[in-house]
Amino acid sequence: MVKLKYVERPKLNLIEKLFFLDFIKGLKVTFKNLIKRTVTTKYPYEKLTPPKRFRGTHAHRVKDGNEPPSFSVLEKFMDINTGESRCVACYMCQQACPVPSLFRIEAIQLPNGKKKVVRFDMNLLNCLYCGLCVDACPVDCLIMTDIYETAKYQREKCVIHMDDMSERGKDFDRRRLKEPDRIWIDDQERIKLWGQIKWS
Amino acid sequence: MEIISTVVVLVVKSLIFILGMFLAAAYLTLIERKFAGHVQQRPGPLHVGFHGLLQPIADALKVLTKEDLVPNNVDKVLFYLASLMAFVPAIMILAVIPFGDPIKIFGFEIKPYITDINVGLILALAFGSISIYGVIFAGWASNSKYPMIGGLRKAAVLIGYEVALGFAMVGPIMMAGSFSLREIVQAQEGFFGAFIWYQPLAFIVILFAILAETGRTPFDVQEAEAELVSGYNTEYSGMKFGLFPLAEWYIGTFVLSAIAVILFFGGWKGPHIFGAFSPFIWFFLKVFMMFMFFLWVHWTLPRYRVDQITEIAWKVMLPLSLLNIFITAIIIMVKG
Repeated sequence: MVKLKYVERPKLNLIEKLFFLDFIKGLKVTFKNLIKRTVTTKYPYEKLTPPKRFRGTHAHRVKDGNEPPSFSVLEKFMDINTGESRCVACYMCQQACPVPSLFRIEAIQLPNGKKKVVRFDMNLLNCLYCGLCVDACPVDCLIMTDIYETAKYQREKCVIHMDDMSERGKDFDRRRLKEPDRIWIDDQERIKLWGQIKWS
Repeated sequence: MEIISTVVVLVVKSLIFILGMFLAAAYLTLIERKFAGHVQQRPGPLHVGFHGLLQPIADALKVLTKEDLVPNNVDKVLFYLASLMAFVPAIMILAVIPFGDPIKIFGFEIKPYITDINVGLILALAFGSISIYGVIFAGWASNSKYPMIGGLRKAAVLIGYEVALGFAMVGPIMMAGSFSLREIVQAQEGFFGAFIWYQPLAFIVILFAILAETGRTPFDVQEAEAELVSGYNTEYSGMKFGLFPLAEWYIGTFVLSAIAVILFFGGWKGPHIFGAFSPFIWFFLKVFMMFMFFLWVHWTLPRYRVDQITEIAWKVMLPLSLLNIFITAIIIMVKG
């Protein structure tokens, strides 16, 4: 049974009725806003840098000596040189993905018995940028960068490949690897960029 | 010979007034957009020209070159007529508005008004009432439900507030003893001679009536973007669409602000501190302040419900204006 609750409209007293006090209060608010500075960014000319945890276009971290321990276990089965993508083709990202068909991952066995990843394509037209693939990656390879301008003129251009993903990963690590994750409300840099957030 | 020269002078004057009003209305759109932007802490148009100064021209070009669609099932004659019926009466009110006293330049006497007839105010009210037809025709001829509802709402609001507006104007007319706008201005001498000090009740009624007549926010039920797509002009496109807001929001507001300034703030009267052109500067300054006040109200207040609006018109504004007439009459009788 739904209980209905009727809320009485607050009655105005005579002075408020006669002099439109509520109107004047509203006019005061808009006047204050009128003389304030604007809060917009002139987008194509000015661009904001998103926080480090922003979920933008995907990238691959490369083999550069900062790998997690899980990678050193798998490394001896893989044919990966330094500076190449550290993907081990475990298909965990595809398993975690809500739209698995957007991944196309292929790996081959070399004559010396090692495994080589030859294809890692993602069709970002189907991607919903949830970040589950990033959480699933066991070797900290697949990441999401702060690049948010993903519009393209052709549909083929929206498919990203292993080469450009590892380039993007190198670029992202060079720019922002040292930066702290801005998820704490008292983080100074976060406050500078986005302002203080009050939690209820 | 006399007649021909009069006709030529009148035609030239009317052309200047109409073209000037068009340009002014175009730039009033820019002022409105800038104002609305800054109220919402965004800068408004910025990229066409310096701080968006050429934006109205770009907008006009865009609206003029757009495809002009006419839906299949509309009443063609009324459909075309409606945009004119909304626009022409609004600009016709300009004919009776004086912008200053006659001045002498190079020996010619130039009168900064088109005509000074002794029923000027009534003519202005009559033109204002005709513009109801534009709205109703647009709503009816579009053969679509949103324009129909919008047109009927606007007609209800306009009929209610025309009455209140007319009665509220009686106060200043009684004090000046004339319907001619020029004589009303001349009846207000000095700073404390302005009728705003004697007729505050009428001024409030007229403020509300102007907001309702020009469809600005507390009373913009005919547009009501959230309910009716765009009100009575939903089916219009191209310049026919552009004429409605131009006539209603800019020319209508400007002209009615001018009338309010003439009735209550002494028109072009003011200290002669700008030289020969000080009457014009005072007049346009006052009208501009009025216009900015309407913008300010527009971008502040939420919308009344349609039944509340007609209720305010008939139950509050009309009795207030009648009371104002009564008080004014008694005071004039007592003072003799």
